Amino acid sequence: MILIAAKLAFSRIRATKTRSALTTLGIIIGTMALISLVSIAQGATRGIQSQFQGLGATNLNISSTVANTLTLEDAAAIESQFGVEVTSKQVRTSVVVGNENNRVRASLIAVDENFTEISEPDLYVGTFLPETTNLQDTRAVVLSSTLALDLGLSVDSINSKVSIENTEYSVVGIIDDSQGFGNDGLAYITLESAYRYFAKSPYLSAISLRVEDETLVAPVTGSLTSLLLSRHSITNASDADFVITDASAILEALNTVQSTLTLLLGGIASISLIVGGIGIMNIMLVSVRERTREIGIRRAIGAQQSQILTQFLIEAIVLSLLGGIIGVILGEIVAVFLANLGGWEFILSISTILAALGFAMLVGVLFGVWPARAASKLKPVEALRFE
Amino acid sequence: MNAVVEIQNVSKFFGEGQSVVKALDNVTVSIQENEFVAIIGPSGSGKSTMMNLIGCLDKPTNGIVKIAGQDVNELNDFKLTQLRNYAIGFVFQQFFLLPKTTAVDNVATPLLYRGMSTKQAREKSLEMLAKLGLADRSSHEPTQLSGGQQQRVAIARALVTEPTIILADEPTGALDSASGEQVMKLLQDLHAEGKTIILITHEAEVANKAQRRITLRDGKVVSDDRSGVQV
Repeated sequence: MILIAAKLAFSRIRATKTRSALTTLGIIIGTMALISLVSIAQGATRGIQSQFQGLGATNLNISSTVANTLTLEDAAAIESQFGVEVTSKQVRTSVVVGNENNRVRASLIAVDENFTEISEPDLYVGTFLPETTNLQDTRAVVLSSTLALDLGLSVDSINSKVSIENTEYSVVGIIDDSQGFGNDGLAYITLESAYRYFAKSPYLSAISLRVEDETLVAPVTGSLTSLLLSRHSITNASDADFVITDASAILEALNTVQSTLTLLLGGIASISLIVGGIGIMNIMLVSVRERTREIGIRRAIGAQQSQILTQFLIEAIVLSLLGGIIGVILGEIVAVFLANLGGWEFILSISTILAALGFAMLVGVLFGVWPARAASKLKPVEALRFE
Repeated sequence: MNAVVEIQNVSKFFGEGQSVVKALDNVTVSIQENEFVAIIGPSGSGKSTMMNLIGCLDKPTNGIVKIAGQDVNELNDFKLTQLRNYAIGFVFQQFFLLPKTTAVDNVATPLLYRGMSTKQAREKSLEMLAKLGLADRSSHEPTQLSGGQQQRVAIARALVTEPTIILADEPTGALDSASGEQVMKLLQDLHAEGKTIILITHEAEVANKAQRRITLRDGKVVSDDRSGVQV
């Protein structure tokens, strides 16, 4: 019986092509919106996520919390720990940077040669700090774009001189600091240079490191904590003079952003699908009215109420599923287009497609029930007399 | 002989209070198997109501209607529908074929509602169409058929279920006289084969083809004339 009802539905849809197309339009647009918006949510956040994973998921940062308590010896001990791939030592201090244009306060970040292995500074112009040996007096500085701007420098200011405190440095590069470390401008110099002019060896402000893979983040954090506690002769972990952070918190936040965004955009699209369902209901009600006589004939020659109900319900479901299928195809096309435009990876999510089709079908059932019931409840005598 | 239609003290009222219309007023009629009965009367006489009651499309306000031995008052919608499907073969004035549906599928529809397989239903329908000389029209849709052909398809649809009663409501009303005569001849032949036929009409000429004529007026039986052509 369901097969016959489905056949009837298809022949009916074929017979009324224009109307069926218009009826399904709402569902098509709804499903299309659902598919493309969810793919935006997933694609875009996955894009950001993979960028973060590329940069930070295996990175750990150890910062001293009370003055510069970390030392070069600590760094050496950390480097030899299991699972640690590369470490980078840093000294940070606040300085005044000036030139003939301006004098501003900035954060001085002195880094060693491994710095670029752990972070990827985004160079606007020039080079990052040259690799140096310990003894060289390399008075080269890389400025953040904020600081460069404050000092009235532009892309062609490479090799111009700035003074940090009272020592003259030569600008070798300018980096994008939109990643944001507060409002202060940043000035990168070599660790050796810092020890010569601004800081006391062997003290360090921070040690960045990368572990071999993500699964090692937690165990290495644990082993480094106990290593440093014992090296600093601290018995109580709550008294630690350093803090170890990793990117997991950021990733977690990103995951939340993704699911919220998916839910939000999916919800918006669902509303349009429901509106599409109302369109189907509307047309089905009109159709039931138009076909009152036909329903009467069917009832007269022996169609049960349930058979009339099935016929109309299946017609609504076929319409909404058809709209859903077309909508999925169009939605995926839009998603590919948007992925290219937005520069993220296109992901064909089977579960999203199935959910969208399921939802379209559900809409068909929900909004088909009323017209179908109306059709089945028609009294044969009255339906036959209907002109 | 078995009574296939038993109508005992049946009334059918429409409306309420002052404006109540007595479409049928205490009517008692019994129709036996293999009778060819015409129910005649002017419009408003109650013959349509009678046809709806005999066709199990409606229930009486008072009295008992038994079709093929079953009291319709005791049947729910499901059983009543089943009774229509098995006991009644409808032939309507306007043919009432399903639109955009081929002749064979039209004929097969009541069998499908019965739960018969599509294949079997189509086979039976093709046989029936062939019997009525419509073998070459089986894949035509109603709009591709003449009025006479449409009515014969409708008769095929009525016959294919092997019903207890053929209930024909003004079967020639929408046909030209030649086609009308053809249809009447067909009904007479079916009667000769042993079918029970109930004809609702207002045309005396058509009614005269029947064996028995029940005349209604103002919801009452005013004559029951068995003087017609006997088989």
